[in-house]
Amino acid sequence: MMVRLIGAALVAAGGGWMGIQAAAGLRRRARALRQMAAGLALLEGELELDAPPLPQLMTRGAGLGQGPAKELFQGCVQGLDHLDQEGFAPLWRRLAGGLDELGPEGQAVLAPLGDALGRYDIQRQQEALAAVRRRLEELAGAQEADSRRQGRVYQALGLSGGAFLVILLL
Amino acid sequence: MTAADSFVQAVQVLPLRLRGEALSLLEGDRARTEELRLRAGWPMTALIAGAERPLGGPPVEGEELDQLVEIASRASRHAVLDQIRRGYLTIEGGHRIGLCGTAVMREGEIHALRALSSADLRIARQVEGACAPVLDGLCPGGRLADTLILAPPGLGKTTLLRDLIRAVSEGEGCLPLRVALADERGEVAAMYGGRPQLAVGRRTDVVEGCPKAQGLMLLLRGMGPQVLAVDEITAPEDVRALTAAAGCGVTLLATAHGEGRADLERRPLYRSLLEEGLFRFLVGIRRDRGRYCYNVEELR
Repeated sequence: MMVRLIGAALVAAGGGWMGIQAAAGLRRRARALRQMAAGLALLEGELELDAPPLPQLMTRGAGLGQGPAKELFQGCVQGLDHLDQEGFAPLWRRLAGGLDELGPEGQAVLAPLGDALGRYDIQRQQEALAAVRRRLEELAGAQEADSRRQGRVYQALGLSGGAFLVILLL
Repeated sequence: MTAADSFVQAVQVLPLRLRGEALSLLEGDRARTEELRLRAGWPMTALIAGAERPLGGPPVEGEELDQLVEIASRASRHAVLDQIRRGYLTIEGGHRIGLCGTAVMREGEIHALRALSSADLRIARQVEGACAPVLDGLCPGGRLADTLILAPPGLGKTTLLRDLIRAVSEGEGCLPLRVALADERGEVAAMYGGRPQLAVGRRTDVVEGCPKAQGLMLLLRGMGPQVLAVDEITAPEDVRALTAAAGCGVTLLATAHGEGRADLERRPLYRSLLEEGLFRFLVGIRRDRGRYCYNVEELR
């Protein structure tokens, strides 16, 4: 009987844990989107400071950025040494498409920014950065709200699914 | 760096196909190539010993000219926009890319170039020792005196100025001095990434990209120079800045377009240089059977 009870408790806890993980996934995406937005804010600031060329801009961004922003900027630093093989805009688009933690929507928002960076005057680049940053922040806000709302649902579903399994098994 | 090495360094900015064509030149031709010319719709040509010859590949595409600018600027047009507006880009090694296309005008000024139609990749080659024939004469008592280099375009004024700056800055054959250079068009030091790409000596500070007169005053206020150098005096503001610098006890080293002393006396801008007594020596340059000949004249 004891073994059955422990098994039932484990199944119920497992269901709850799956629910928590699903909610945590939403929070992770929101955090990644926030980190990306913060990285873009860094670029805006550096452009304002002394309008550095892209290799310097990306190096500074990679040094100070976190999460997907760091990964993206590091990729750009490397790719900028091989512009004869891949231009900057396709490079940025490819790298942005590889940032799975941002989700398809975040990737889609970020991808076109490479068409503006380095190409237009400073003000236009800052405007493009700010527009993408704001959109990423909106997405992050929506993800956070989802994670709060759906997190509870997922946890409840996980726990009740676990309990349902327990009843079936017992 | 050998002349052939300079060539190889310069062609790294070309798109892959064009780079391959350029590197197909024989070693001897690479060393003698002065320029590579790219014109949309025509095969790339090389200027070798004064003669332009096609390299035999397919015509250059407009997209390849855009790609050239992207590689040369490291995808950072915003950082080189001022250079593009002036019609050229300086790249690593001091090589320069002249650009042509449709000018985008704003408020009567060239704002940008679009639809690029031509590019001219000029391969930089430093002539170290160019100043040797005149250095002694310009340094009475071993210290450089105020000097104006005067010659028509294409006779090596900038080359001589650069080498004099290097020699004085290094103390090569004269007393070493701190030199400050106002390099408006980046032709003397060819700065790239904060470093001169052409040798101007270890005691040389360079400001580039700003009008000469402003650059001279910035250097005078901020760098405590012993020698103030500038390429091509062209405006009354330049003369005023040099006059102010002379009043601070700084030695002046400059170039100007002109045929000779008579030309100086005839043109109002330059006449003021003589009247102010800013320069002690005037260096004239002429070419005789392919060789540069220098004439040093004492003005005061």
